[in-house]
Amino acid sequence: MNVSPITTWEGTEAVFTFADSPLAITVILSLSIAVTIGTVIASIKHENDTYIDYK
Amino acid sequence: MDQAQVAEKLAELQTLIEMSGTINMEVFYWWCTGLMVIIHAGFLAYEMGASRLKNALASGVKNILAFAFIIPTFFFFGWWIYLAMYNGFVPDFAAAEAGLPWSSAMGPNLTDNASGIFWGAFVLFAATTASIFSGAVIERIRMSSFIILAIILGSVVWILGAAWGWHPQGWLTVEWGFHDFGAAGAVHMVAGFFALGVTINLGARIGRFAPDGTPQPITGHSVPMSIIGLMLIIVGFFGFLGGCIIYSTGAQWTTIFGTPTTLSSISFNTLMAFSGGIIGSYVITRQPFWMMSGALAGIFSAAPGLDLYYPPLAFLMGITGGVVAPLADKFITEKFKIDDAVGAFAVHGVGGLIGIIGLGVFSGFPNVIEGAPAISFFGQLKSAVVMALLGFVPGFGLSFLMAKAGFLRVPPKAEEAGLDLVEVPLAAYPESVPATADHSTTPGNAVTA
Repeated sequence: MNVSPITTWEGTEAVFTFADSPLAITVILSLSIAVTIGTVIASIKHENDTYIDYK
Repeated sequence: MDQAQVAEKLAELQTLIEMSGTINMEVFYWWCTGLMVIIHAGFLAYEMGASRLKNALASGVKNILAFAFIIPTFFFFGWWIYLAMYNGFVPDFAAAEAGLPWSSAMGPNLTDNASGIFWGAFVLFAATTASIFSGAVIERIRMSSFIILAIILGSVVWILGAAWGWHPQGWLTVEWGFHDFGAAGAVHMVAGFFALGVTINLGARIGRFAPDGTPQPITGHSVPMSIIGLMLIIVGFFGFLGGCIIYSTGAQWTTIFGTPTTLSSISFNTLMAFSGGIIGSYVITRQPFWMMSGALAGIFSAAPGLDLYYPPLAFLMGITGGVVAPLADKFITEKFKIDDAVGAFAVHGVGGLIGIIGLGVFSGFPNVIEGAPAISFFGQLKSAVVMALLGFVPGFGLSFLMAKAGFLRVPPKAEEAGLDLVEVPLAAYPESVPATADHSTTPGNAVTA
């Protein structure tokens, strides 16, 4: 898979993966946000499970 | 060599100098950011040491997670808030375009040597703010509640304060002449007052107060670890304060307010305030935990004017912070029954407050922003009120809602058993002392590890 936004280093600016693909950036950013929020939710669930024996 | 060749060589030389300056700027902030990571090593040791054995690892996990969650959330929206909200609550969308998480400036970019390195320094300021708060709430807050509050503090609240009072066009500076070189307001006051708001709703640790309200000492399992942690925070502070200076190629250093300064100035005053803080707390408490906390309070008490003070004045400001911080902690503990486990409010909130108002007392320095008033007592006082409210209101409000929903604090039995056993689960020192050595909460007795 070619994820490079450039074909030459001459005159390049943004060089990060998918820099020329708004759709790919949207997907990756959304996934990152989902993982961050999901971890907090998973943490809440973990706590609720562990607290059962200490109610 | 003819004239054209000379001109060409001069142009080449000029390009080389500019590139060298740009790279020096990057290198400077790179190492400031690295040094700031040491602040977190310090907070980690400090808070783990200040926890009882049964909570040592849970406190460490909390501290590490604060750092971890601040970084992506600051990428998602924190940096945008700084660039957009300098004017109050109405965002400047055009100015903040480069801070959008999908902007071409928010990633490897060969024409932009500044965005990432400034973002890096600021995200470490954000993480520091969250870590200040984390110490106050150890041993009884739910991990997930803590993470949410840390994200709100580090990636929303503090950076809003920074946009208002620590941005070249921040409204506090432009309208009131606010000056706060070392972020005593945006970082320390905001974090300290946020911590105060949360601790009010969170309540004290079981056993912290006898039934008649008398405070009972809860000693951490490793005071030496806490003291070393505090010393590490101070080492990291040199990165933090370096990050408060603007590097300009071919020109004098400036503060974030545009006023000229030097690293030399900051060196004089930081060290003098640091020693003043230790001496001040030594006089009042005679004990090392508060001497090192006093060193921090001393630096914050001089932080807004580290670029401006006569060094012995910074020393006296440091002594003031070192004396007042332990007394303030004692006052809120005895008078209001607030259990701030590491004195975060007293050290950071009160220390920062002394700093902001102190510079107002010794004010009169001109501003360089066109039309902005000079630094003044009332400008500093009003700005201090804004910073205090900015920290306290969301801290209190959010934690109030969480407490009402039964989502802020761990169940009493889990607290007594110790969070290492319940949440982590791992023993800090498995071959020496059991993680649940002592759950004694007998009224009148000190609760120890």
